[in-house]
This record gives sequence, C-alpha cells and structure tokens, in this order.
Amino acid sequence: MDNEILIEVRDLMFEYPDGTRALQDIDLDIYSNQFIAFIGQNGSGKTTLAKCLNGLLKPTQGHVKIDDLDTRTKGATKKIVTKVGYVFQNPDHQLFNNTVYKEIAYGPRNIGLKEDEVKVRVEEAAQVCGVEFKLFEEHPFFLTKGLRQRVAIASILAMRPRTIIVDEPTTGQDLRQSIEVMNFLRDLWEKEGHTIIIITHEMPIVAQYSKRTIVLGQGRILMDASTPEVFAEADLLAQTYVKPPQITRLAQAMQRYGFSRNILTVSEMYNAWLEAIARRA
Amino acid sequence: MLAVSVRDLGWKYSGRNRFAIEHIDLDIEVNTFVSIVGPNEHGKTTLVSCIKGIIPSSFHGVWRGKVEIFGEDVRTMSAQRLAKEIGFVFADPEAQFTSMTVEEELVFGLENIGLPLGEISGRLEWVSQITMIEDLLDKSPYEISGGQKQRVAIASVLAMKPRILILDEPTSMLDPLGKDFIFEIMTNIKKETDLTVIVVEHNIEEVAPLSDMMVLIYNGGIAKAAPPAEFFENSEFLEEHGILPPQATMFFDRLKRTNNYTGPLPISFEEATQKMEALLPARV
Repeated sequence: MDNEILIEVRDLMFEYPDGTRALQDIDLDIYSNQFIAFIGQNGSGKTTLAKCLNGLLKPTQGHVKIDDLDTRTKGATKKIVTKVGYVFQNPDHQLFNNTVYKEIAYGPRNIGLKEDEVKVRVEEAAQVCGVEFKLFEEHPFFLTKGLRQRVAIASILAMRPRTIIVDEPTTGQDLRQSIEVMNFLRDLWEKEGHTIIIITHEMPIVAQYSKRTIVLGQGRILMDASTPEVFAEADLLAQTYVKPPQITRLAQAMQRYGFSRNILTVSEMYNAWLEAIARRA
Repeated sequence: MLAVSVRDLGWKYSGRNRFAIEHIDLDIEVNTFVSIVGPNEHGKTTLVSCIKGIIPSSFHGVWRGKVEIFGEDVRTMSAQRLAKEIGFVFADPEAQFTSMTVEEELVFGLENIGLPLGEISGRLEWVSQITMIEDLLDKSPYEISGGQKQRVAIASVLAMKPRILILDEPTSMLDPLGKDFIFEIMTNIKKETDLTVIVVEHNIEEVAPLSDMMVLIYNGGIAKAAPPAEFFENSEFLEEHGILPPQATMFFDRLKRTNNYTGPLPISFEEATQKMEALLPARV
C-alpha cells in the first residue's frame, strides 16, 4: 500500500493566540512509507506545521485529518498519539521518568493498556531502537546523548505510530553520531515501513536521506518535491535562507559544461565529471 | 614567535581511569588561525582548557607536560594575567551576561580594568563594527536571539584586547543564519586583527578556508595536524577518525587520486570553482 494517505492537510491556516500568523495556505498529503524532510529558515513554520500534524496545535482555519480523524474532534488526542509520534529536538525535554523501562512504558500505560501488553510494546520498541534490555532499570540521564535519543524514539515507537516526526535529529551531534541516528531512522522507514519526517537545517543530511523535501518560508510551502528537484532550485531556496549542499552548488556553477543542477553527492559529481570528459572524447 | 607551545601534555580528570588527553605536542605561531576538529568526547575541550589555564587551576586531576603562552608557563601565570592574554568564548553565550543593555555589558568589563573614557568608547566602536552589533547596543542581552547573544559575547571578549582568542564550539547552538554571522565575524577578526585564534568547530566547510592549520584530536591525541590543503588529503583517514572534508575538497581529492588533477586541494568554494574553470575548458 504505497499510496495510502496517512495525514491530509487542507487549506491550513494557523495563528498563535497573540495573532502571529505562523502558517497559511498549507495543502499537503503525507503518504505511508515516505521519508520526508521539512526545511526552511527559523520562523518559516517548520515546527508549527509539525505540531499541527500531530494535533498538538489545532488549525485556526482549514483542517488536518489523521486517518480521516479531524484533529479538532473532541477526544482525538488519545487516538492521535497512536498514529503520529513526535520526538523533540533535545531528548532531555522529553525524558522525565527515572528508569528507561518506565520511560518507554509511559505512553502505552497512559492509553490504558494492560501490563503484559505494555511489556510487549516496551520490549518491541527497545529492540527496534537498539536499547538493550539490561538498561531498563538505568536512569535515562546517565546514558550517552545518542542512547537518550534512542530511548526517546523508543518511547514514541511503543505507541506504534505509523508516522514519526523527529525535530533536528542531528543538531549538536558529531559526524558518527549523526550517521548513527540517520541510519536508524532510515531503517525505520525502509525495514519497518514507517513514514519518517525530519525537521532539519543540515542540507547534506537531507540530500543523503530524504526522498521528498518540503520547503517552508514565511509560513507557506514554497516547494514540495523530490529532494533532487528541490536542490536544483537554488534561487527559491535562497528566499528561505537555505543553501544546497556544497557539491550541489559546485555542479550548479558548472552548468555550462553540462553538469546538472541536482547533483547531491561527491560520487554523483565524480560520475558527472567522467561523463563530461567522455562526451569530449 | 610562538603564541602557544604545548609539550607532551597530558591531563587526567580526578576520578577517571584514563587520561583525557595524552602526549600532545602543538606549536601555534602568533597571528595564525587554528581549527581544532574531531568527534565529541575525544579531548578537544580539554586541550583548549589547558591552553586557557582553566585546567589545572579550576579542576582536580593529574597534569603532565607543559603549556607556554608567549614563552611563559601557564601554571605559573596568575588568573588575571591569563584572563588578559586569552579571551574565551563558550558554546552557550547566556552564561556570560550580567548587565541591563548590550552597551553596558561591553562597557562594564572595560571600566573594571580602569580604562579612560576615550579608550572605552574607541574599543566599543571597534568591537561593535567587527561583530556587527551596532544596532543591538541599546537592547537588553535577554531580548536578543541566541545568535545575537553570541555576537555580543564575542564583542565583550574582544573588547578586552586579548592576544589569543579561543572559541569553543561557538556556533553549535545557533541556527544557520546565526552560524553565518559568527563565521563572518571570524573572517573579520582574521583580516582586521593580529589575534591568534583557536577555534573548536564541527562546521569544517566554514572554518577550513580561514585556517592556517587544522588539528584533528582523536582519542586524546593529535591524529593529524597540517595546513588545510595537506590536512584534507586522504579523506578515508579523516572519515575513519570521525570528520569529513568539505565536499568540493573531497571531490578534488578524488580527481587527484584518479590522475585527473595535480596540485594542492582547493579549500573554499570559490577556490574550487576557479580550479574547475581552469580544468574544464580544455577537457570538456
């Protein structure tokens, strides 16, 4: 089922209580088993949109439907948490229990599952996230940041949502930690069939992992397309202070020699080079 | 003349089993720009803390070897002397503010060291221009963005006219626009001052073009130290040690190793486009 709509957004407008209009004219379908990135400068509406997608914020106008359930329906929140998970930028804003087990069990317990079902959910989520069972009685704050983030994701996965939104998964992480968390998210998408939405400022990460990229600027969607198509539009991206990866910009500067505008990696650039000199020969 | 000389330096935090850094040898010439890179928890901050003298003065542990600032042993220098010679900027600018407005914040430190008024206003103007905060001077340090706060933090450190400036992950908590400002400030500092700058950074693409020397700290030791063009050769080695060269540099490294290019690797985007322009017309 590749084309099943998980979240439907129509004509969404959102204003904060102080009257600041954070989003307008948003139309969007999120499908099953997609890997999506939201990009755009700070204040462009990325995080507000994400919070509308999980029902944390309700539309001022228009609607957001999750599995046909309007997020403004009374009592919707309890159902939404089993459908769309949201992982905070800083895992420490999310973790609050004194053991890893209680942390992951919190959501399932909160929706009233029986303890034996809770245990199944906790073990399943921990296993997918690479959180070893022997850590269950540890205090989350004594784990490394990478592990705390995994515990945070496990606590979301325990609700078995089909869509998982992760806010800035790689901020403050070094190269290895970034690769580790991104490969893990890719596995959740590729092997477990989840839809993953990341919110990020790191364009090489978007280039490498995201298949569909949604560009936000001043509360509107500026572009919603495949990642190579998005990075080909450097002028449009500049409106929201996004720079394509350096290698993409190098290829774009060399367009008159036949390099395409949507090269995303060093290997692609090298292949384009080989093609360019082969054309000459 | 050496601004910093580090000889066989080792430091073990009290209560830890192993040395955080060990056998570090590093010379930093006056008026150079040095970037310290490498994965988290491998010793970068420990090293700059030893250069700043915060270690050993404010930490317990075991010290080995020697650090000299302009030929003087840091362990015999007073805290005041060290503070005068070395300015330090942290990742989190919040930690440093005490005053009502940005201007007062900057002036406070200068009054404290007893400078005459004329000198104070001269320095205020100079640092405001270098850090691009002229329009923030009458604002409260608490009503400005994180990126603006970091600019003010750098300004207040520069105003004291240290001879060495150490920046420890100054952009790690900022958004892309905030980061760009800090790299622009670093460029201004490099162009307009004779400061010796030591910066710990993960944004290699941004700091490499400014750097006279890149130092990779890995597992408590120096894995590689060289000028950028040499430092970025052998990208596999760097990747195994947890960092990546700028993408354009990596591309040229690949051209070089497949005999499509000879010469030093380009470090900045502009250099890379120029080298492409020189290579392509003949080949394509």
